[in-house]
Amino acid sequence: MLEIIRIHNELLGTYGDRGNADVLQFRAGLRRIKSRITDISYLDPLPRSGDIYLLGGAEDAAQLLSLTALRKGSILARAANKGAVVLAICAGFQLLGNTYKTRDEEFEGLGLLDVSTAPGDKRLVGDIAVKSPLFLEPLTGFENHSSVTTLGTEATPFATVISGNGNGIAGIDGAMDKNVFGTYLHGPVLARNPEFADLLLERALGTAISPVDDELASRYASWRRGLI
Amino acid sequence: MRSLKLRLAIAIAKSASATSKLLGHKGETLPGRILLAIEPEAISLLAQDKEVILISGTNGKTSTTKAVASIVSQLGPVATSGSGSNLAWGAANALMSPAPYAVLEIDELHLPSIIAQTDPTVVLLLNLTRDQLHRMHEVKRVADRWHVECSEAVNTIFVADIDDPFINYSIVNAINVVRVSFGGRAHADGAVCPRCGSYLAWSRNKYSCTCGLTNKISELKFKKGSASFRNAILANIVGEIVGAEPVEFSESALERSVTKEIAGKSAHFRLTKNPASWTEALQADLHPEVILVLNARQVDGIDTSWLWDVSFKALKGHTVYVCGERALDMAYRIHVEGVIPTLVESVDEAMALCSGSDVSVLTAYTAFFELVM
Repeated sequence: MLEIIRIHNELLGTYGDRGNADVLQFRAGLRRIKSRITDISYLDPLPRSGDIYLLGGAEDAAQLLSLTALRKGSILARAANKGAVVLAICAGFQLLGNTYKTRDEEFEGLGLLDVSTAPGDKRLVGDIAVKSPLFLEPLTGFENHSSVTTLGTEATPFATVISGNGNGIAGIDGAMDKNVFGTYLHGPVLARNPEFADLLLERALGTAISPVDDELASRYASWRRGLI
Repeated sequence: MRSLKLRLAIAIAKSASATSKLLGHKGETLPGRILLAIEPEAISLLAQDKEVILISGTNGKTSTTKAVASIVSQLGPVATSGSGSNLAWGAANALMSPAPYAVLEIDELHLPSIIAQTDPTVVLLLNLTRDQLHRMHEVKRVADRWHVECSEAVNTIFVADIDDPFINYSIVNAINVVRVSFGGRAHADGAVCPRCGSYLAWSRNKYSCTCGLTNKISELKFKKGSASFRNAILANIVGEIVGAEPVEFSESALERSVTKEIAGKSAHFRLTKNPASWTEALQADLHPEVILVLNARQVDGIDTSWLWDVSFKALKGHTVYVCGERALDMAYRIHVEGVIPTLVESVDEAMALCSGSDVSVLTAYTAFFELVM
């Protein structure tokens, strides 16, 4: 049973990122791989047994509450060290870094990715397309944030920006380290880019999975790529 | 007495309106734009000799404004907004009327400035949920602006549906408030207290924060009901404040719905524009054949990610056609939820394929106006 943990959707669910879990489960199901989505609220302890942990975008106060809860026991960092997959979008990505700043304060992040985030001078809103070395084709999504995320020496860029802003600096979007992925792409990103969903499933299972032909998924992804 | 400059500005704006209508436009924003270009103070000048009532919120603005206008019309002529023209020039356009009452629908981001300019008698605050995030950015950001302006509008009576914590936060420091509760309801964005940032404690649709923000205490309490039911009551409360008798509305009177005959069948169009209104529409009874129309222009919200916050499970067992500029976003969304979409080019094509006499058509904002208005 593939355990998909959707973390704090009531806090990190402002931009529809809950759909990432649904798409993972759907595409696992196409291969007859059994999976279970567990929604973890702010008040629940984070399970240690997850194969895939998902975090989404949030408003500022919600992001801080989520961070406070996730600090307890460093469960996410331990799971990631053991090879669990973590996909974090936007505010969720920022939480995984070393630090993030708001206009008033600086907070210590969860330290899963060597990045730090500070407020930028404008809101970055719109369609975004990026090219990640993990995939042949570009990925598409929608970004909506006002931060600048800078990579440290140990982080690898997740992708380079084709159009849009991503991290807001150096033409980079997101960061990754082994099975931990951070990006600014909403959409949800796995709905827009099924090959990314499949990569996460392979990483979580530790084995290659059979290709599937979901005509609607491919048509949707290639239509959005065609608009870049 | 209106100044010469203002009268001149109105005359020019009105002649522009006539020209605009000749050219086939609805003529609701151009005169307002011209008026404000010539006399930037026009809104506050024109509001001085009127009783002004403003209505705002994410969902239900247009239909509730129509309801309030019809209630207030018992008392005398009412100047009111054209359908959905809820920005500053729409307000300016409506205020040019000599009517003693003005009942205006106002866009959420424009509300603070229109309150400041019109010093309204009553402001009705319906709800604040996720909508057009590419423009609003965050729900809290809108509520913060309302909170500041509502606290300063000391002459205004606010009628507020406080089952929505963002509405309650908006009026928490206002001087004159009628707080209304309909027994509480869930709020998809209500996990954090908008006032203090704590995790908001909810129990059976009632919330109560350590900072004191709660919907357990209100001036008026009513039973639970649909958005249409709630908005009819809120409209009547506003009417009562200005001295009008209550008016009874049918359950569906305040829905944005229109029925049109297409291909010999009845197409029941309903406006659905964000997670809250889609959820509301999907909870209602739907015909066996359903058409979903999705666009993503500015007023629809250019980001379609929110589709994943709506459960479309209610469509299981229905025949579902999907069209619109972003039909593929919708089709893939419901596909993942186990609903089989049939992609079509248009509502007309879908209606021709339908076999029943009645079809539900859930329609994004811009599509609704193009198809039925």
